[in-house]
Amino acid sequence: MADINFARAISQALDEEMARDEKVYMIGEDVRAGVFTAQAGLVQKYGEERVIDTPISETAIAGSCLGAAIAGYRPVADMMFDDFMLICMDEMKNAAQWRFANGGFIKVPIVYRLPMGGYVGLGADHSRAMFSPVMHLAGMKVVVPSTPYDAKGLLKTAIRDDNPVCFFEHRLLYRTRGPVPEEEYLIPFGVADVKKEGSDLTIVALGYMVQWAMELAKEYEAKGVSIEVIDPRTLEPLDIDTIVKSVEKTGRVLLVEEDMTRCGATAEIGMQIMDRAFDSLDAPILRVGAKNFPIAGGPMEKLILPSKNDIITAIDKLLGR
Amino acid sequence: MKLERDDLLKLYRNMVLTRKTDESIIDGIKTGRVVSFFHSGQGHEATDVGGVTFLRKGDWAMAGVRGHGVGQAIAKGLAPREFLAEHCGKATGCCFGWSGFHTANLELGLPGYWGTVGTTFPITLGLGIACKKDGKGNVVVSYFGDGASGRGTLHEAFNMTSIYKLPVVWLCENNMLAINMPASEAVASKDVADLAYGYNMPGVVVDGQDVVAVAEAVMIAVERARAGDGPSLVECKTFRFRPHSEGGKMIRGYQPIPEEEIAEWRSKDPIVLFRKKLIEQGIAANVELDKIDGDAAAEIAVAEKFVAESPLADPERMFNSLYA
Repeated sequence: MADINFARAISQALDEEMARDEKVYMIGEDVRAGVFTAQAGLVQKYGEERVIDTPISETAIAGSCLGAAIAGYRPVADMMFDDFMLICMDEMKNAAQWRFANGGFIKVPIVYRLPMGGYVGLGADHSRAMFSPVMHLAGMKVVVPSTPYDAKGLLKTAIRDDNPVCFFEHRLLYRTRGPVPEEEYLIPFGVADVKKEGSDLTIVALGYMVQWAMELAKEYEAKGVSIEVIDPRTLEPLDIDTIVKSVEKTGRVLLVEEDMTRCGATAEIGMQIMDRAFDSLDAPILRVGAKNFPIAGGPMEKLILPSKNDIITAIDKLLGR
Repeated sequence: MKLERDDLLKLYRNMVLTRKTDESIIDGIKTGRVVSFFHSGQGHEATDVGGVTFLRKGDWAMAGVRGHGVGQAIAKGLAPREFLAEHCGKATGCCFGWSGFHTANLELGLPGYWGTVGTTFPITLGLGIACKKDGKGNVVVSYFGDGASGRGTLHEAFNMTSIYKLPVVWLCENNMLAINMPASEAVASKDVADLAYGYNMPGVVVDGQDVVAVAEAVMIAVERARAGDGPSLVECKTFRFRPHSEGGKMIRGYQPIPEEEIAEWRSKDPIVLFRKKLIEQGIAANVELDKIDGDAAAEIAVAEKFVAESPLADPERMFNSLYA
């Protein structure tokens, strides 16, 4: 198993799926060149008919995917920044609802790739993590990978899914490395991954935050605290069973995401834990996320976004230290 | 294309059946059979039917909001009873009865309906991308109103269908009212067709009450699209005989539209005009056209009975349909 980076894993998934199925094509702004390098070399291999560069027209990109999907194609749209998806939220809502609202017999296989996230200093226009808006689109699947292995296996599944999928790619993950098998594999949706087993405390983290959770879990391990780290990997469908099982074991849970905590994905996960595992909780559920502010630009963003210190404070509070 | 006698009678039949289906829905609203609302397309039959009747299998007809796509669906071969059943919440509807008012049938080239004005522009773009990729010469005829021409989605989709030379015919049904907002106050250009110039595509204006004029103009654009020469814009000047939504009033701006004006437009009923023409030109006799009218009325009567006897939409089927 070779170590490759996250961007290469995305690129391999796109390449393999485009080779496997000629109905798969890519569309977006600057997809030929690739703004974040995740699709390097694909236009040379598959041509401009399957790597379609567009004007700056997010609405048309997102909505065209719906039309092409209705007609039997499997578009993969690169939205460049998840912040930009708000321009075309109506189109994404329609993609999510088209099947249901038109009798339930039309397939809508679309992947909206959503490069995302902060800690790069790009300010209020380019830094948001926006899981929760798309979780509100009934009919839309939502994927948030945190490792190269998960990114490749989940993107291949997303492309083969007959439903629309939002696929979040944190920009700081692109250069992170991890083992990815040579042979083909797929990762099913709705299966959380226990990234590290533990017995004292459960951390459920999303995307880039999984990395921090893992680093801190190792630090606490050295101090004799056993932390279990769970990566849901998909928010719709959500594998609440794996989370509940862990909470029943540890009795303490911290939810970490980069999005604002107000109405965030962790608000939903926390409430589901309350519904399912209230009696197992030895302490209130805690959450760490961005403050309910726009993201500031440059170094000031640190004051808005969640920090490792926020996570440490929450862990210590949960452990009563 | 040259329209033969059979083609002309087909246009007449499709318009009559469209009108009678529309009337049946309005009756259903009054009697409580219809479960949702209705935006009657009466007055638009020439454009709804004229732009679609001569499309072939594999072509797409993307309806706008007016009439819930009734004319386009019938011209594409959808049985009126499926349209009626959908509006009555019945399991035999074309969308199994829980959409309220949508029309979809992929085999017939009806990609699905959406009630948000202007949503159809980017979806049409995608259907056009698919048709071009298929390489079978299929086209998309996509309807929108003067109201939808205010949406930014128009710009993006017009621009991209043109730069990619996609096989799309944009068909504007300009009935001069967006709910109550007059086109004279809402559309900056003299004609919506003027927009075509900026997108490097042909744009024409036709009389939307003349079904033959509409069909001929659209088929010229269709042939151009099939040949790979890209999109066109056909603007049909028309009028709606009824309020924006059933139960509403005929308003322009915030004032009632004068009765005389409505009467004048009603005198340009596209079905009456076409019937007169068919008889005057010796193409069809009164008795033949009466038979078409009678057959359509009988079909609707049978359809209404079928709908009345149909089961309601199946909740289990609905709840199993969120994901493929």
